[in-house]
Amino acid sequence: MNILTRIMTSLGLFILAAGSLHAQNRELVVGSSATYRPFAYESPSKEIVGYDVDIIKAVAQKAGLQIKVVNTPWTGIFAALNNGDVDLVISGVTINDKRKQSYDFTAPYFEARQLIAVQKDSPVKTLKDLAGKKVGVVTGSTGDDTASREFGKTNPDIRRFESTPVVISELVNSGVDAAIGDNGVIAFRAQEHKQLKTVNDPSFPKEYFGIVVKQGNKALLDKLNAGLAAVKADGSYAQIYKKWFQAEAPVLPAQ
Amino acid sequence: MDQLLWFGWFRADIIAEYAALFWRGLQMTILVTLICIVQGTLLGLAIGMARLAEARHAPARQLCQYALRWPATVYVSFFRGTPLFVQILLIHFAVLPLFINPADGLLISGEAARNLKQNYGAFMSGVAALTLNAGAYISEIFRAGIQSIDRGQAEASRSLGLSFPRTMYHIVLPQAFRRMLPPLGNNAISLLKDSSLISAIGLTELAYAARTVAGAYSRYWEPYLTISLMYWALTLGLAYAVKKLEARYGRGDSR
Repeated sequence: MNILTRIMTSLGLFILAAGSLHAQNRELVVGSSATYRPFAYESPSKEIVGYDVDIIKAVAQKAGLQIKVVNTPWTGIFAALNNGDVDLVISGVTINDKRKQSYDFTAPYFEARQLIAVQKDSPVKTLKDLAGKKVGVVTGSTGDDTASREFGKTNPDIRRFESTPVVISELVNSGVDAAIGDNGVIAFRAQEHKQLKTVNDPSFPKEYFGIVVKQGNKALLDKLNAGLAAVKADGSYAQIYKKWFQAEAPVLPAQ
Repeated sequence: MDQLLWFGWFRADIIAEYAALFWRGLQMTILVTLICIVQGTLLGLAIGMARLAEARHAPARQLCQYALRWPATVYVSFFRGTPLFVQILLIHFAVLPLFINPADGLLISGEAARNLKQNYGAFMSGVAALTLNAGAYISEIFRAGIQSIDRGQAEASRSLGLSFPRTMYHIVLPQAFRRMLPPLGNNAISLLKDSSLISAIGLTELAYAARTVAGAYSRYWEPYLTISLMYWALTLGLAYAVKKLEARYGRGDSR
């Protein structure tokens, strides 16, 4: 009996040790929706590249984490995080109170605002001008939230799509009057199509993008925050920002 | 968290919040399915007949082969050989803008085109894609049904002096229809389910409603289980209708 207990205990310890060893060396899976140029998109060689990807790679390097970026559709990205299919998400996710209830966010890594895209000849100046018009957004995005708050969440004038390129195609083809989305993406897509212009409504609040982890995953969150702080401190953050947005990086709040 | 406990694991409150969207989605799904069943059956009949067109003497013989049989075969091959999802996207983002475009539509342009696209764009594309696809499958059902009727039936009818259309209408099709009902019912059910694919182009049907809720709350059980039950109820209804039809038209078989 005594021997058996001893064997069991040592076996248990061994499994525990192996488990933690495994956890430390395990490659972390990063979920990102690669339809979000310039934040994350697929290059012709099937690689996922973009601002978000550069940021997470730099952060992981500082934090000593092994990562692998996996293209995850936006509509299922939080489910993938919940299921454990991905360990963290960096996909231009705006930090907001509703999401904070279910997930944990790192410090901000990008300052964003909502931006409206319309056809060149459109008279729209603000969000309010879009009342009664058809508005295209990405399902569950901050643009969706904004439109839902302003016009009602079951309003048939809000047209929701899977990804930003589809919303923009719909706008170009006059299927909708306007598109609302994060400024970085909308501005990039609008300059791709010469019949579009962007409209900046000053009433849109400042928002921040954060890296998302499962609620309560403090160990990973702390590592990511430390890595992010290091990336900001040594100037590589400013470099990455400049590479993708051709502008100086703004000063971000620490929390 | 309180709310979560309050409603147990299934938060019916978020479905209630979006009830209007689900209701509209249900109506749209039914409407699209009914229209596509009717149009698809008519189209399938036409294509099925075209595939069987035959004549003994030139030039009708060549006409049947090159103007009817070949195009019909290519049509069926294309629509059965490519994914429905791809067909929907192709029609909505490529074919429809070619014909209906505010700038330079081949069919309709200007303000009328804009209005049409914004109010019925996704509906038209979805119905068109689903009809064309269903037509291809249904044409094969018609072909099989017609071919399954003994040649002697048509020959006897023709020798009695009935014209080809009247032979079809009075002799062959009524017998064939009986045999075609089960596969036609099958097809109607898959049509109903396939209509969910149209949500990708922003049509407010059941799957769109579920996706909207999933996007807003990052919760998946509630919306998708809800629409699963709704689809299930609808397919049960369809199956019941087909069974009734079979009983009605099958009476001649049980002598």
